[in-house]
Amino acid sequence: MLIIRRLAAVSAGLLAAAVLASAPASAQKPGGTLVQITQPEPPNLAPYISTSGPIGQVTAKVFDGLLEYGFDLKPVPSLAESFEVTPDGKTITFKLRQNAKFHDGKPFTSADVRFTFMDVLKKVHPRGIATFRELTAVETPDPYTAIFKLEKAAPYMLMAFSGYESPVLPQHVYGSGDIKTHANANIPVGTGPFRFVEWRRGEFVRLDKNKDYWRAGLPYLDRIVVRFIGDSSTRTAALEKGEAHVAGFGAIPYNDVKKLAALPSVEVTTKGYEMVSPIVELLLNTKHAPLDNQKVRQALAYAIDRQFVIDNVWFGYGKPAAGPISSNFAPSGMFEAGKDYNAADRVARANALLDEAGFPKKADGFRFELVHDLTPYGEEWQRFGEAVQQQLAQVGVKVTLRYEDVAKWLKRVYTDYDYDISSNFLYNLADPVLGVHRSFHSDRIRPGTVFVNGARWSSPETDKIMDQATVEPDPAKRGALYRELIKQTSEASPVIYVLELQFPTLVNKQFKNVITSPLGIYGNYATAYRE
Amino acid sequence: MRGTALLFYILRRLLQTVPVVLGVVVLNFLLLQLAPGDLATVLAGEAGGAPKEYIDLLRQRFGQDQPVIVQLYRYMAGLLTLDLGYSFRQSAPVLQLLLDRLWPTLLLMGTTFLLSLGFGVTMGLLAALWVRTWKDHIVSVVAIIFYATPLFWVGLMLILLFSIKLGWFPTSGMEDVVAFNEGWDRVVDIAHHLVLPSITLSLFYLALYARLMRASMLEQRGLDYVTTARAKGLSERQITIRHVLRNALLPVVTMAGVQVGSLLGGSVIVESVFAWPGLGQLAYQSLFARDFNLLLGIFFLSSCLVVIVNLIVDVVYVLLDPRIRIG
Repeated sequence: MLIIRRLAAVSAGLLAAAVLASAPASAQKPGGTLVQITQPEPPNLAPYISTSGPIGQVTAKVFDGLLEYGFDLKPVPSLAESFEVTPDGKTITFKLRQNAKFHDGKPFTSADVRFTFMDVLKKVHPRGIATFRELTAVETPDPYTAIFKLEKAAPYMLMAFSGYESPVLPQHVYGSGDIKTHANANIPVGTGPFRFVEWRRGEFVRLDKNKDYWRAGLPYLDRIVVRFIGDSSTRTAALEKGEAHVAGFGAIPYNDVKKLAALPSVEVTTKGYEMVSPIVELLLNTKHAPLDNQKVRQALAYAIDRQFVIDNVWFGYGKPAAGPISSNFAPSGMFEAGKDYNAADRVARANALLDEAGFPKKADGFRFELVHDLTPYGEEWQRFGEAVQQQLAQVGVKVTLRYEDVAKWLKRVYTDYDYDISSNFLYNLADPVLGVHRSFHSDRIRPGTVFVNGARWSSPETDKIMDQATVEPDPAKRGALYRELIKQTSEASPVIYVLELQFPTLVNKQFKNVITSPLGIYGNYATAYRE
Repeated sequence: MRGTALLFYILRRLLQTVPVVLGVVVLNFLLLQLAPGDLATVLAGEAGGAPKEYIDLLRQRFGQDQPVIVQLYRYMAGLLTLDLGYSFRQSAPVLQLLLDRLWPTLLLMGTTFLLSLGFGVTMGLLAALWVRTWKDHIVSVVAIIFYATPLFWVGLMLILLFSIKLGWFPTSGMEDVVAFNEGWDRVVDIAHHLVLPSITLSLFYLALYARLMRASMLEQRGLDYVTTARAKGLSERQITIRHVLRNALLPVVTMAGVQVGSLLGGSVIVESVFAWPGLGQLAYQSLFARDFNLLLGIFFLSSCLVVIVNLIVDVVYVLLDPRIRIG
């Protein structure tokens, strides 16, 4: 028997519902140019070889994926009208849309799907290499059917089919020549609602309406211009003046967000990051004494005042993190609070643990010293480091701050492991397999690979749990596995989870329906319109 | 006769610059090797992490698996055919990236150069004529304030006042990206966008030239040839314009030539504040991304630019002062 998930029938209804829910249909008149601020400027427009955030903010409007996702993190149809998964989870059959065309007028077929996943994403996409590791073949019995054959079940793979994560490329364009230095790396051609017109480096990317878009009547907007403004105060000024209309992902400094939110023309939302789920963490080098001691690591976790950091460093845009998995996963049963490091008597507990661990306070009031390597991503990380310094001093740990540029910092933390504590924010992404396993699994201790298990802690038990969860098709059983993982990792405390970041996205009120999916500004803006 | 001599002089100077520029390139190449971290790690970092296979693939692609000397040889061999390499981060040939960004920078630098030199010289001249009066003091105080104010702050204040409060000028960028003007409308639009950034960048240099010009005028006015001219019966006006001004300009022109290099540095800040799409911003971004091919290309281009401007300055000397001979 097949588990069949038919999406085609509901698709039209869902779409209509999404559109209706937000505003009366009469208000959506076509036309208008939306100006988005993206910071920093993307290095290229090739989302198939780089997952650098700014690229996706541009290219998600140009490329479609096989699926998109609702705020409940459930798949909705896109280039695939429907899909079926066999009970063993090893075969996924996609029924493809028959009226979709690429921006050069050529039709979209299953051959493009095979090419995209087998020849490109599986081979050169930074995350695709891992996500599609189990994918052995894409069969194309006819132009509108694509059958994914998997070595082992990979339930997380179904969360990776958005136009942002896995853009579907035309084989007739990207199929010739070396994909890694392809001539179209900066001239993207997709099936999306907007087609690429021009990129003036240092200034803007211009995307115009795709008049032959497969969703009839969409998009509403005539044009999207993505602007690049290096200075944060100038970005704020451009939004204030109405020269730009949308900005997210920290493009506007938090202190300016408050000022802009007070304007009648600007709306601020924290929705649109549900498939990203960034968590601010402190990474502990578990091979360095005294951080090799679990009691010391727990004590440091108790010592951090999460609410203070949220209120004073991130201007309230966050909530205390309860463990390695974001509370955004609560609907899918994979979230649970770990050990409660936020307890009311946390400072006393931290002191007691450090005494127990054999590090009494010395005459100068300190037990030992650590160096904290700051994340070189901006001012808030400097302030976060200062907060950590003060809070650890309260339990008798002396912290020295060190600031280096991005390249040097990455090398120190993820290649040389020459650090004690460092901060970072890692995305949970759309599934724990993609975003959480990398922090704990023993096979993710890889010198030279950034944003993986830099703490170098692992245990055979947690490895086993993650291996099982990777191939477990039953959502209830997966949920139970992850709850166990949360329990064990938060007890071991190789990483201190501080807060779930809630990035503010600013939207000019002239524009409606801009943030319509859990991918936020990584969405395609097909239904956005100007009032 | 003089024309051909000048031409030969220019050609000889240009030939002399070739080893200088090549030396700069080799030195920059070796210096950049000292920076810790590499493009592959930065790219992976920007991507929010990547598997080891991917990073190894990148290093191999960038030729970073080769010894430094081989990398240098390849780079220099390419340079001789004007092949500046490929920017793997920006997925485009370096030369094309540089040429795209060159003209906004030249536009900003050129406007600034003319504005600051023109107004600076005028201010200095007037201050010298009004020496030790209240007008001289006002000019001097204003010049010191301009000289001491940080560029980015001036830029932000101008944006606050002229674009947000008064709405006279756009906050940033080089042209209106909603209208996408064509033809003359576009020229006017770009000029409109150019006003605030070029004023910001000009203020500092304007102050510098004004102070120099004033001092230089006062010095020249005390020299013997002025007394002679006066004894000859020339009017003060003729003395100032025909004799003193021309001689007083020489140090200012020298300074302006030297300052072209630092003008490039100052434009990094102004380009960043006003989102002006020039070379300065590109240099800044590529340094932090360890995009060495691109960075070397920028160094190469800016060293060429500085050398050429200095050559022009030497030629201007000859035109200003017939006593200075070429050769």
